[in-house]
Amino acid sequence: MQKKIVTLALSALALAASAAHADEGGANTVRLGMYFVHFDAKADNITGPYAPPGLNIHANNVETLYVAYVRTLSTHFNVELAFGYPPLTKTEGRGPAKLGSVPYNGQVISTARWFSPSLVVNYVFGSANSRLRPYVGVGVNYTKFLARQSTALGNAASGGPTSIALPSSVGPTATAGLAYELADRWHLYASYSIAQVNSKLTANTAGIIRTSEIHFWPNTLVISAGYSF
Amino acid sequence: MLRKIGMLGAAVAALVLAGCGGTNSPTATVATSTQRGTLVVNPALRVASVNAADFAAQLNATASGPQLLQLAGTPACGVDFYYIRYMTVGPDNSAQPATAALMVPTGAAAPCTGPRPVVLYAHGTTTDRNYNIANISDTTNSANSESALIAAVFAAQGYIVVAPNFLGYDSSTLGYHPYVNGAENAIVMMDALTAARTALLSTFTPTTSDSGKLYVTGYSAGGYAAMATVKAMQAAGVAVTASAPASGPYALEAFCDAIFFGQVNIGSTEFAPLVTTSYQHAYGNVYSQTSDVYSSTYASGIDTLLPNVTPIDTLFSSGKLPQTALFNSTTPTSATGIPQVDGAADQLLAKPASPPYSAEQATLFGLGFGSPYLINDSFRVAYVDDAVINGDQAEMTLIGGGTLNSGTVALAATSMVGLRKDLALNDMRAGGWSPQEPMLMCGGDQDPIVFFQNAQIMAALWTPYVSAGLVSVLDLNGAPQANSPFAPLQVALQQEEAQLAAAQGVAAVASFHAAEAPFCMVAARGFFAQVP
Repeated sequence: MQKKIVTLALSALALAASAAHADEGGANTVRLGMYFVHFDAKADNITGPYAPPGLNIHANNVETLYVAYVRTLSTHFNVELAFGYPPLTKTEGRGPAKLGSVPYNGQVISTARWFSPSLVVNYVFGSANSRLRPYVGVGVNYTKFLARQSTALGNAASGGPTSIALPSSVGPTATAGLAYELADRWHLYASYSIAQVNSKLTANTAGIIRTSEIHFWPNTLVISAGYSF
Repeated sequence: MLRKIGMLGAAVAALVLAGCGGTNSPTATVATSTQRGTLVVNPALRVASVNAADFAAQLNATASGPQLLQLAGTPACGVDFYYIRYMTVGPDNSAQPATAALMVPTGAAAPCTGPRPVVLYAHGTTTDRNYNIANISDTTNSANSESALIAAVFAAQGYIVVAPNFLGYDSSTLGYHPYVNGAENAIVMMDALTAARTALLSTFTPTTSDSGKLYVTGYSAGGYAAMATVKAMQAAGVAVTASAPASGPYALEAFCDAIFFGQVNIGSTEFAPLVTTSYQHAYGNVYSQTSDVYSSTYASGIDTLLPNVTPIDTLFSSGKLPQTALFNSTTPTSATGIPQVDGAADQLLAKPASPPYSAEQATLFGLGFGSPYLINDSFRVAYVDDAVINGDQAEMTLIGGGTLNSGTVALAATSMVGLRKDLALNDMRAGGWSPQEPMLMCGGDQDPIVFFQNAQIMAALWTPYVSAGLVSVLDLNGAPQANSPFAPLQVALQQEEAQLAAAQGVAAVASFHAAEAPFCMVAARGFFAQVP
């Protein structure tokens, strides 16, 4: 699956590049803004020794700094490499109110930062001198989870110091947005993106392994400003 | 320019990654040593944590919980349940991984924190390979009720509890259980205690510590293991503050003789494979092939049957074991050619009748005879012949209607049957020892599973210590003594058993052994409190 996604993205990039070659475009743009991320996460119940039935998790929404470099390939094509400052994402327990006497439901049991760059080929509508230009894009997202931590409450619920593994994910991403020309070289952007992130949470507490398959569909709203040169 | 942008992007990415800090949470350390008593994973996993109120509420929500709470008292402490993995050795001295429960009292109340006494507990017979007394959170685990019992009686009242699962259970890789192997059971107990003391240093409540007071107890086969542990600890110079083995088969040779003489106990078809497999692995002298002992119906695979992940009722219904028929209902006869031996043996081989037994006893013992049956005729005859020729004094005294005293309870001087030799070796009368610290032997003389004669024989052997008050015997079915602190327990137990008998008739007797467990454990706690 991951190989297919990468192949598809590279094909799209090659197509755009060939179009760029034909069109001799070529401005560079750096964008800065804010990501507003809503995690539409669905996780399987946690399974493993000493895990009562019905244990689940929920990822809280986050905001973070958006940084992107965009290379204009032609009048209608550009390629965008975007990433955010790895946001601290908090995971809450979902399920029983308490495990024994340890609070669980609604408690922040773990945190992780994730570095999640996307490479997207955008098709930009309208003419080169239009002030307002909508665009759509498809690409590939790579997500690496960093600084995974079980909180004190998470350790209490898990039964001891807990290490968390979340393998990296490669998945498709799609975006739709608007670019508005503020002034020469300056633009404002608003876009909505969605990506697919699949990972398997593996928690190790005193050698006891519990797991959960997690499927994120991060819905991302980006407000940014860009400078072209 | 593009190149500069690329470098800038790489620098930003590097900065971003550097800003993320550490990579992961710490976890436990795993010891590689196979030395006895090594705590393999430290800190140990806390399986569950309940405060006093929640523990009471959870017990009250179960069928037997309210009665247990009434007996054990309202929890004064919460309890943290830990799962310990540690190293011990098997009967062949091979390094063996083993597991145990560590229960730590919690809460701010005085009896729940700071230096606390330790109760080392041995669980009873189980045929469930997955038995895990640490797994209080799984009500489907067959150990759940025993785990709740000792938590309610001891941990929730301020005792730190250490309870091994024994080899052959839970995640043990040993393919059998060293059942009623006294020296081996004691090693597993002592190593669990060593590992638990290490684990105590890294719990969620590190201020709760071992006070140095050590109490040893256990029920049924665990009562035997508890007494074996006291014996081994004394031999090793380890101080035991007091002990309370309960309803255990301490006098193994006499007990097994009684069974082969036709006094077949409830559960005998489960105990027999556990014993023979254990001793065959330890000593290699029980049989050359299983059919030397077992009938052709059951001999195949009997040596690997127990413990098993398949429920015992399924093993019964699928024909792997008979439910009660230990012996052939068509009883065999002795043929040594020695008239006195054959005459005595034939009497003992006959199906018990009333008289001399009571009608209830004859009915109960009679359940042990049927067809198909477990033990083959030739082995039973050989065993009984040996028991007649090389008599266990205690059993012969009981059979003859005599009185047990320190002069009438000796083990057989010798034996020609491997199983009987092994039973004698593991009999708690062996080794010329006696308790050096207070011991209470609790049980009930109506117990149809582990006969109370086991405690009576040990008490007779230790008559001087009983007289001096060092060794006490509590017969829950006995007449309550007005000045005895255990009288309320006797009264309550006898009321409960009377109610069971009224509801179920003679079949109720089968549940007496289990019914007595919480009463003996509460008696043990009261006894320990008198030996601070």
